Amino acid sequence: MPHPVELHSLTKTYGERTVVDRVSFHVGQGEIVGFLGPNGAGKTTTLRMIAGYLAPTSGQVSVAGHDVVRSPSASASAVGYAPERPALYDSFDVLGYLRFVARAKRVHRADMASQLDRVVAACRLEAVAQSDVYKLSKGYRQRLGLAQALLGQPEVLLLDEPTSGLDPGQISETREVIRSFGSDHSVLLSTHILPEVTLLCDRIAILHHGRLLAIDSPSGLGTAVGRANRVELQVAPGGPPDLKDRLLDVSGVVRVDIDDRQAPYSVNCAVESSGNVEAAIARAISRDWELLSLRRHDPSLEDVFLHYVESAA
Amino acid sequence: MSGVLAVYGKEIKLYFRSPIAYFVLAVFLLGTGYFFSYNLFVSGLATMRETFQNMGLLAVILLPAVSMRLFATEYSAGTYELLATLPLAPWEVVIGKYLGALTMLGLMALGTMLDLVPLYLFGAPETTTIISGYLGFLLLGSTCLAIGQLCSSLTQNQIVAALVTVSILLGFWFVGHLQSFQTVQFLRELFLYISFAWHFGEFIEGLARFESLALFVLFSVGALTLNVCALEWRR
Repeated sequence: MPHPVELHSLTKTYGERTVVDRVSFHVGQGEIVGFLGPNGAGKTTTLRMIAGYLAPTSGQVSVAGHDVVRSPSASASAVGYAPERPALYDSFDVLGYLRFVARAKRVHRADMASQLDRVVAACRLEAVAQSDVYKLSKGYRQRLGLAQALLGQPEVLLLDEPTSGLDPGQISETREVIRSFGSDHSVLLSTHILPEVTLLCDRIAILHHGRLLAIDSPSGLGTAVGRANRVELQVAPGGPPDLKDRLLDVSGVVRVDIDDRQAPYSVNCAVESSGNVEAAIARAISRDWELLSLRRHDPSLEDVFLHYVESAA
Repeated sequence: MSGVLAVYGKEIKLYFRSPIAYFVLAVFLLGTGYFFSYNLFVSGLATMRETFQNMGLLAVILLPAVSMRLFATEYSAGTYELLATLPLAPWEVVIGKYLGALTMLGLMALGTMLDLVPLYLFGAPETTTIISGYLGFLLLGSTCLAIGQLCSSLTQNQIVAALVTVSILLGFWFVGHLQSFQTVQFLRELFLYISFAWHFGEFIEGLARFESLALFVLFSVGALTLNVCALEWRR
């Protein structure tokens, strides 16, 4: 059975410039995948190719088993796409706009009212349902953009920077809305906000300069860049001079950096990701040195992201 | 077909929620009404012939204001991204928008029918000539709109779309005059044959000829086909 979204060597070039370079991955049933990358990484172009707005230069993309290039109507019926800048008609009212999108998505006349009620409720638009679109705040415009994507009950939702430009309250509300989509739809979400993917996504795809650098669960990505795991110690001065050697003897410690320019000494140990190395470190040095503090740092998504981006550079 | 109707419904809504539709209708009806009254009361001509002539020129100048926004504003407002990713084929978008613009043309023609009341009350106009004139007007108008819609699909700026459309339409309107400067027979015939004014003039005279009808239909279908190609090319 095909995955809801499948990309094989997807490439987009404009003249000499390659914007998306041989990107391959899939989005599973009911999965929320975060598309992470700096501005200009190719996230929007990739989403636009999946949505059928742009044709790939080479490679294939299929949605719900339909090739986007060969069967554009069938694949478009399976996709709900919310562009970064919500595509709204300002002179419509909210329900009039949603009704137009529903008609274009061939929602049956008998199902129209229930579908509109469903998306208005899902995106919490009840308070503005009768308002003109041009009067809506940015948060409501963003949510109306999400609501139109939900019409027609598409199998796949493509959300391009859905919280871009919103205030913290609106961001939190919009995230709640997106989280609720995960049960009924497969979601591919692009963002450059790191906490967003951690909070919302089952898997994260890291894109940089048009290339897919990694795709895995947040914990899987952390494990993959295990060298970024570290233990930080504060040690009082006055012990024997072989502190570094003693720490390197501990199984699981890969590298040790000591800043002994001022008291207490700051010690940074790069450790392997697996195993409880903190207890072994504490045992190894507590007899001869006064250990003031010990703290483990697992790699944050920021560490993971920077690791991949710097490796690629 | 439901996709065409969805786009058509949206277009009609957009026309009448913007001042453009009212402005174009008002200017066109005031213009034709003025010329009709002038011909009837000052020149004493109780026919539609001169009025049709003026309607044709007004349509060539005003219809680009109807067609200019069809795609250009969708591009500039970002709403084309929605249209292009809905399960709508490019031809459904093109035809839906075209039908919306044709409705505006129909309303313009309908408005001028008020002129027929005094004509039939105080004169004895030839009904077949009037029908032929209206047929010519609708064919001319639909060709202007198809060309205007094509121009609109090629730019994000609706003013540019309108200016390019007016230039093209005036070119086809007046191209017949160039035949007097030509000595080559083929070119003389060509300039006359592609002249919108000449073919429209035939309809006004009551000559609804097949070749005139075919020319307008050919231009319209050609422009709409290129319009579909332009949308495909944008991808």
